[in-house]
Amino acid sequence: MKTNLKEILSLDSLKIGYASGKNENVLLPPLNACADSGELIAVIGRNGIGKSTLLRTLTGLQPTLGGDILYSGKNIRYYSRMDLAQKVGYISTDVVKVSNMSVYELVALGRFPHTNWIGRIETKDHEIIMDAIEKTSMSSFCRKFVSELSDGERQKAMIARILAQDTGIMVMDEPTAFLDIAGKYEILHLMHTLTNTSDKTIIFSTHDLQMAISQSDKIWLILDSKLIEGAPEDLMIAGAFDHLFDSSTVRFNSENGTFSFRSEEKGSIYINGDGIKKLWTEKAINRAGFTVSKEKTVPYIITPSGNNKNWLLPTQNFVHEFGSIYELVSYLNKEGNRPI
Amino acid sequence: MKAEIQIKSTINFYSGRKVSLIFSGLLLLIIILLILDIFFGSVNIKAAEVIKALFAKSDNSFEIIILKFRLPKAITALTVGVALSLSGLQMQTVFRNPMAGPYVLGISSGASLGVAFVILGFSSNITPFSINGLGNWILVSASWVGAGAVMFLIMIISSRIKDIMTILILGIMLSSGISAIVTIMQYFSNETMLKSYVIWTMGSLGNLTAGQLNVLMISVSVGVILSLFSSKMLNALLLGENYAGSIGLNVRLARILIFACTSILAGSVTAFCGPIGFIGIAVPHITRILFKTSDHKVLIPGTILAGGVVMLISDIISQLPGSESVLPINAVTSLIGIPVVIWVILRNRKYSGLF
Repeated sequence: MKTNLKEILSLDSLKIGYASGKNENVLLPPLNACADSGELIAVIGRNGIGKSTLLRTLTGLQPTLGGDILYSGKNIRYYSRMDLAQKVGYISTDVVKVSNMSVYELVALGRFPHTNWIGRIETKDHEIIMDAIEKTSMSSFCRKFVSELSDGERQKAMIARILAQDTGIMVMDEPTAFLDIAGKYEILHLMHTLTNTSDKTIIFSTHDLQMAISQSDKIWLILDSKLIEGAPEDLMIAGAFDHLFDSSTVRFNSENGTFSFRSEEKGSIYINGDGIKKLWTEKAINRAGFTVSKEKTVPYIITPSGNNKNWLLPTQNFVHEFGSIYELVSYLNKEGNRPI
Repeated sequence: MKAEIQIKSTINFYSGRKVSLIFSGLLLLIIILLILDIFFGSVNIKAAEVIKALFAKSDNSFEIIILKFRLPKAITALTVGVALSLSGLQMQTVFRNPMAGPYVLGISSGASLGVAFVILGFSSNITPFSINGLGNWILVSASWVGAGAVMFLIMIISSRIKDIMTILILGIMLSSGISAIVTIMQYFSNETMLKSYVIWTMGSLGNLTAGQLNVLMISVSVGVILSLFSSKMLNALLLGENYAGSIGLNVRLARILIFACTSILAGSVTAFCGPIGFIGIAVPHITRILFKTSDHKVLIPGTILAGGVVMLISDIISQLPGSESVLPINAVTSLIGIPVVIWVILRNRKYSGLF
C-alpha cells in the first residue's frame, strides 16, 4: 500500500448509521475515501442519503458502526474528545441562537481545547482569535453580537471559530445553505482561500453541484451503492454524476457541468457568431427546446456583430430580425413558427 | 492599521473595566443591604443598639434579636439568593431555555418530595425545625435526591422535545404530579407532621437553627465551587451539544457535574427554606442585562452577587420596615421575579436567543 505523507484522513470500510440497542441501522455500504492536507472536498449526494451522518461520524459526534476512520494514521477510537477537537472542527446546520454573545466571544470558544480549566484566554490565544477574525474579514464585527449578524456574517464568524480551534481538518455541513448567491460565493471563496493558503483541509457537504465542481479539489460522491471519490473532472469524464438523477426530466451535461431539463426535441439550429453572444444564444436555444447543430445547416441564426445589431433568422423567403434574445426565443416558442 | 486593530481588540479582550465596576457596585450594594437587613425588623431597634449588639457585649434582649435572629436571617437570605440564582443560570444554559429555573421546571417540587418523605414519611417526632446534626444532612440529602431525580427527568424529556414551551408545560405537569403525591402523603399523616410540613412549604428564611444554617452554607459553598469549575463547560454548551462536543467537551460528564451542582444548590435551599419561587429564573436575566455578555466567567460571579442583592432586597421588603408584620418571603420573590419573567417573554416572543 502506497503511503502518502500528506494524507491526513482516510476512511477504511467505514460503516455509518444509527445504533439503538442491538439494532443497527447502517445507512450506506462500507465507505472508502481519503483526504490530503490543503484539499477542498465537496460531499455530494441526494437528500437523506447520509451526508450529515457521515460528517457527524467524522467529527466523532456519532460512533462508527464498523470500519475505521484514521486521522494522521491514528484511529479515531484512540483519540480523546479533547485531542480530536484539536484535529477536526465542525460546523453543523444548526443556527447558533445566543444573544449577548459577541463575535469575539464566539470565536474565542474555538480555543476551548487549548485553554485551561476555567477557559482563560492568554495573550497567545488572543492573537490566534484576532488572526482568525481577520482572516475571515470580520474585524469590524468583533464586538457585535452574534444575534445581530446576517446569515452570511454569522457563517463567517462560525468559520473564524473553527480557525481559532486550529484544526487541520474542518468539516462543514452545508455551509452555504440559506445564503444568497453573493453570500454563497463569498463563503466558498473564503473556504477556497483557506485551503490554498494555510494547508487546511475542508470537507463540506453541498447541494450546489455546479459550485462544487468549479471550486473543489475533490468530490466525494455518495451514491446508494458506493462512495466515488476523485477530482470533479475525473468524475465528469466517468459520467458519475448521471447516477445522481434517476428522474428522466433532468439531464446533466457532462461537457460543461450544467443541468438542463429534458424536453421534447424540437429540432436543431446552427448559430453563426462568436464570443459571449454566441454562448448565450446557444443557452437560450437549448432552453427553448432546440439543440445546437455543430455543422452549418439550415435553419441558422446570425448573432449581432459589427453593423448588425440584431439577431437574424433567415427563412426561405424572409429574414426575421430580433432586437433581443427574449424576442428571438418568444418567436421560436410560438407554435407554427418552427423554422424547420 | 495593525496597531489600531490591536488596541480595539485589547479593549474587547479586557472589557474588564466596566465589568469590574459593576462587580464592585454589586458588592457594595450587598454590604449596604446586609446592614439594612440587620437594622430593619419587626421590632424597632435603634441603630446604636444594633451596633452595640454586634460589636460589644451587652445583656439585653436586643442582642438576642440581632445575633440569634436578624444576623442569621440576613446570611440565610444571602446564601439562598446565591444558590437559587446560580442554579437558575446553570439550568438556563444547559437546557438552552430562557424560562428554565429550579421553581418553574419542578426541581423545587422534586426537592419538596424528598423533604415530604422525611417529614411525613418517617417519624412523627421529626419536624424540620427540630432536626439536628445528622438529621439535617438526611433532610438535605433527601432534597438533593428529589431535585436530582426531577432534573434527570427533565433532561430526558428535553433531549427528545426541543420546544421550550412544551418542556415548560411538562415541568408544570411534573410539579402538579408531585404535589398530588405529597397531598396523598399528607392525607395519611398525622396532625403534627402535617402542620410542620405546611409551615415548611410557606418558605421562610428565619426559622433555621444554627446547625441548619451551617449545613446550608457548607452545601451551597460546595455548589458554588463546583459551579466555578463548570464555567468553561457552560460556555461551550451555549452553542448546543453538537458544537460543544466538537470543540472538545465531554457533554455527558459536563451534564452530570452541572446537574449535581444544580441539585445541591436548589435542593439545599428548598430543604431548609421551602420552595422559593422566581429568583432562579429572574436573576440570571437581570445579570445578563447588566453585563451584556454570555461568558460564564463573568456571568457566574455576576449572578452570585446579583442573587444576593435581590434576595436581601426581598427580605427587607418582607419585613415591611416600620411595621410589625412580616410577609411570607415566597410572595415577595414572586412579585419581584414575575415582572422580569414577563418582560423576558414579551421582549422576544420567538424565544430565539434569549440568553
